[in-house]
Amino acid sequence: MKVIFTDVLVIGGGLAGLRMGIGAKRRGHEVIVLSLVPPKRSHSAAAQGGMQASLANVIKGQGDSEDVHFEDTVRGSDWGADQEVARMFVNTAPKAARELAAWGLPWSRVTPGDRQVIINSQKVTITEREEARGLIAQRDFGGTKKWRTCYVADGTGHAMLYTASDRAICEGVEVHERAEAIALIHDGKRCYGAVVRDLITGELRAYLAKATAIATGGAGKLYRVTTNAVICEGIGHAIALETGIAGLGNMEAVQFHPTGIVPLGILVTEGCRGDGGLLRDVDGHRFMPDYEPEKKELASRDVVSRRMEEHIRKGKGVKSRFGEHLWLDITLLGRHHIEHNLREVKEICESFLGIDPAEKWIPVRPAQHYTMGGVRTNHTGESPHLKGLFAAGEAACWDMHGFNRLGGNSVAETVVAGMIVGEFIADFCDKPENTVAMPMGLVEEFVEREEAKLQALLNSKGSENAFKLNVEMQEIMIRSVGIFRNGDALKEGVEHLQKLLERSRNIGLTSKAPGVNPELVAAYRTQKMLKLALTVAYGALQRTESRGAHFREDYPHRDDQQWLKRTLSFWRDENATLPELQYETLDVMKMELPPGWRGYGAKDYIDHPDTAKRLGEIEEIKKRMESKDRFAVQEALMPFRDKLPGELRGLNERIDEPLNG
Amino acid sequence: MSNETLIIQTGLSERPRKSRLPARLDFLQSASGLFLALFMWGHMFFVASILLGKDSMWMITKFFEGYYVFGGKAYPWLVSIVVAVVAAVFVLHAMLAVRKFPINYSQFKLYRAHAKSMQHGDTTMWMWQVYTGFAMFFLASAHLYQMMVWPQDIGPFGSGGRMWVDGLWPFYLVLLLLVEFHGGIGLYRLAVKWCWPNCSREFLKKLKWAITAFFLILGFATLAAYMKVGYDYQENYKNGEHYTPTWAQQAREGAK
Amino acid sequence: MSNVQKNTASGGQTRQRMLTFHILRYNPKDPDSKPHMQSYQLEEAEGMTLFLALSEIREHQDPTLQYDFVCRAGICGSCSMLINGRPGLACRTLTKDMGADITLAPLPVFELIGDLSVNTGKWMRGMSERLETWVHTKEEEVNLSKAETRMDPELAEKIYELDRCVECGSCVAACGTAQMRKDFVGAVGMNKMARFKLDPRDERTDEDFYELVGDDSGVFGCMSLLGCHDVCPKELPLQTQIAFLRRKMVTIGS
Repeated sequence: MKVIFTDVLVIGGGLAGLRMGIGAKRRGHEVIVLSLVPPKRSHSAAAQGGMQASLANVIKGQGDSEDVHFEDTVRGSDWGADQEVARMFVNTAPKAARELAAWGLPWSRVTPGDRQVIINSQKVTITEREEARGLIAQRDFGGTKKWRTCYVADGTGHAMLYTASDRAICEGVEVHERAEAIALIHDGKRCYGAVVRDLITGELRAYLAKATAIATGGAGKLYRVTTNAVICEGIGHAIALETGIAGLGNMEAVQFHPTGIVPLGILVTEGCRGDGGLLRDVDGHRFMPDYEPEKKELASRDVVSRRMEEHIRKGKGVKSRFGEHLWLDITLLGRHHIEHNLREVKEICESFLGIDPAEKWIPVRPAQHYTMGGVRTNHTGESPHLKGLFAAGEAACWDMHGFNRLGGNSVAETVVAGMIVGEFIADFCDKPENTVAMPMGLVEEFVEREEAKLQALLNSKGSENAFKLNVEMQEIMIRSVGIFRNGDALKEGVEHLQKLLERSRNIGLTSKAPGVNPELVAAYRTQKMLKLALTVAYGALQRTESRGAHFREDYPHRDDQQWLKRTLSFWRDENATLPELQYETLDVMKMELPPGWRGYGAKDYIDHPDTAKRLGEIEEIKKRMESKDRFAVQEALMPFRDKLPGELRGLNERIDEPLNG
Repeated sequence: MSNETLIIQTGLSERPRKSRLPARLDFLQSASGLFLALFMWGHMFFVASILLGKDSMWMITKFFEGYYVFGGKAYPWLVSIVVAVVAAVFVLHAMLAVRKFPINYSQFKLYRAHAKSMQHGDTTMWMWQVYTGFAMFFLASAHLYQMMVWPQDIGPFGSGGRMWVDGLWPFYLVLLLLVEFHGGIGLYRLAVKWCWPNCSREFLKKLKWAITAFFLILGFATLAAYMKVGYDYQENYKNGEHYTPTWAQQAREGAK
Repeated sequence: MSNVQKNTASGGQTRQRMLTFHILRYNPKDPDSKPHMQSYQLEEAEGMTLFLALSEIREHQDPTLQYDFVCRAGICGSCSMLINGRPGLACRTLTKDMGADITLAPLPVFELIGDLSVNTGKWMRGMSERLETWVHTKEEEVNLSKAETRMDPELAEKIYELDRCVECGSCVAACGTAQMRKDFVGAVGMNKMARFKLDPRDERTDEDFYELVGDDSGVFGCMSLLGCHDVCPKELPLQTQIAFLRRKMVTIGS
């Protein structure tokens, strides 16, 4: 048995994992980052739009602050977010953007003077301030009151990932590439590391660490159609779940994006519709006005996605070898507009569809986009259930996104959580009581158990094909646990997934090829993914309300009275076919922003009994502190600053808010 | 032994500064190549003087022998000196260029397979650069040696006779092709490498082929002209005669 | 409505071509395995990329086939392979642009993991460590509460232009020098040097850069064959960047 010792084991080499690793390493701890692929190939690279940070440099961002960013984030979450964590996040986001700038990230910068932009399909001239010259620029994004999204041309995620990855190399953070954690080593109370499979040689190794952190990103591949990369299979979520101790939060909260191209699910920007593009069905009919006479194609993301799925269910989809789809028609915008304003869309259409979007319609279908749920953690990023286990980024339910994530907040969360959790991990490792003797007998047991599982798969005479089971799972998830959910379909979906999980215990392999053996990989991952799929489906079945991205046709209202709580799923019995669900209540009386209307979407919801009371309290505090500055008022409403690591508690300088001293 | 050497030898130098030699060698390879290529252009024009007549060629030859400087006396050893300088640059260029050659058969095999698979003009052209360069180690060396040792044999009869009577025209035909392809590709490579005068490979490639075509046509014509002179005056050559320019012949005949 | 007909007509009812994939197979972990070409037949589909084709082959014909895909959208650089002899991103290659016979092989130069999968990550990490591909500053800690240092917008754009490299390895696989010199930094490395030279936040001098690339495994090993420039999937201006670096480094050496 090969054993590798380190202080901090980070599972996942994307932005969150790398930033955590850098943080812990800078504090003097040995760090090993495990990555399925070379870290620079992580899915973080796909975040093209930008990162939200309230720098307020551009004129359309003037007046932006942590407060506005906080409100946007909480409203976006449909009040599912942990508001203290959201506060920690918005205070750190500008620091993260500035740290990346210092590390060499080529943020797009402000050019003072006039420029033309399109707002609500109207050409508008705006004038940037001279004081902002050369500072980081921000662009507009959905669901935000101010222009807050910092960007690097059309490759924000790529540039951020490269900057962070190169910084990790500079700091000497060790990265073990092509290594997959397949089980966490724990004794029921504390996590000691992971059993890891080498994806080149196929051998198993044990990595033992004081702190283990999961940063494996999303689980988009639970769905047949997703904008996620092929490695986003949620294995990090799954190994936490399989401990039987750690809980996953809000797994039913899954975001869909309306226009993923078919068959690949690659995203085409909302700008297509913003500029006047139309959605058409199999008959060439523009169907959105039938459902949403007011906003038509420009209704919010979740609404458009829902309507598109509804239309396909009515048999109006276009059938193709890769399933059904609808058409996005931007031919009416004209070649000039497409080649100048939608260049990226044009390139995607040419490279991946081989079509010219100025002449032909683009096949699109809503695609799974983001996993709000993840390994439940407290504000330090540590699992409240399993000591020594941390999580950050999309893999975590730290919980700043609640039931719906805002655009630009995902990539921001990766680096912000990486900074914050990295510090807390270092604190954890610094404490003498957390240096424990490794229970080598237990470690051996875990490695042997995993070895035996793999051997059993290799020797199995089973009749099930892993690839087929996986596809079947993905199709159930799209069909029953997709954009539109209802009790019957969910119940059927859960039952079907349960059967699949049972069948997955009877997978047989055709090849025993030494080395990585892709068929073996598909087999063990499918078994894990099915459990994860069940947490999503079962959580969705139990949640009898609609909140954020979770939409129940049979319970179309948000129900704060019953459901202002977070779902926790556990998998305590390995032979079970369903997770155990628990609920964690969100306390309205501690909220800085009590539940209300989001400012868009449905206006009717069922109020929580405490909401009115808390609103009264807030009113009174605000009145009492009228003469105080916004920081003092905020502090009185919901103190959070002392929850941040010391060095991240500072204020953020802006053109209109210079630092004193 | 210098102090620095001693320190490096004992492994104590913290960070010995990287040698500046590779930079100089890289520059010298380009510079020597440029010199040789430009020289070959000039050379081509000089030898092509035969196309204007034997007298023109004779005048060019004599010019290099100092005839017009030393008041009508020619010193062929002056040519030897020029040839020696060119030969020195040639050897230097060869030494520098050989650094880039495949150093063993397996490297050569790898490169050849790579070029075949890539189907990429610039990559394939480099193979030709290696082949032609390699061949010129021998052919150009032989020519340079001959010119250096027997400079007095350069002239309409001598040069023509070498082609025709001595049967060296196939040698010069091959050498012509080698020089023009190697030099043409080399100059193109130089421009691409330093991005000067222009970075556009499309443009540079066109220019390169135009220049190569021009010099090849000029070269073939020149070779043919020498062969004709060699054929017409084979007896003169065999008798060891040197060409006398027309005006001198007329003067001599006038004197008779 | 002509558009409908046009679109549905191309939507898959017409008969599709049968494609033959000739794939270089070899599993170095298997002592019985020898490098050989294996052929697979597959019916072409509308919009089929090599990613979709290889996935279908693995799922339905040969589960042992090894290859690397991550983003399948042309942004991560995982899937570069020799496609009909030339390096390119498989996920961005449409079968309809090719003949019915398609040859696939792993990238040369890099360590082979198996079949079409090569270890570009290890090579790239080595390159990054060797060339120190990060901004070098003397300042230890930045005050994160303070506003960021200003930068000329056009310069930021220029840096990003070079920062677009996805380290796919195509340039290295297309490089004549890299075939023969295993320690050659390749266009990817030289482009990075040019990128950091451009960045005012990096305090390294030309002398410092000379220490990193001033030899025959660096910029002076380059023979300007520019296979790199011609295969780069991000169309980076490699020719001008390498020439720029060469001129700077020669100046240092003189």
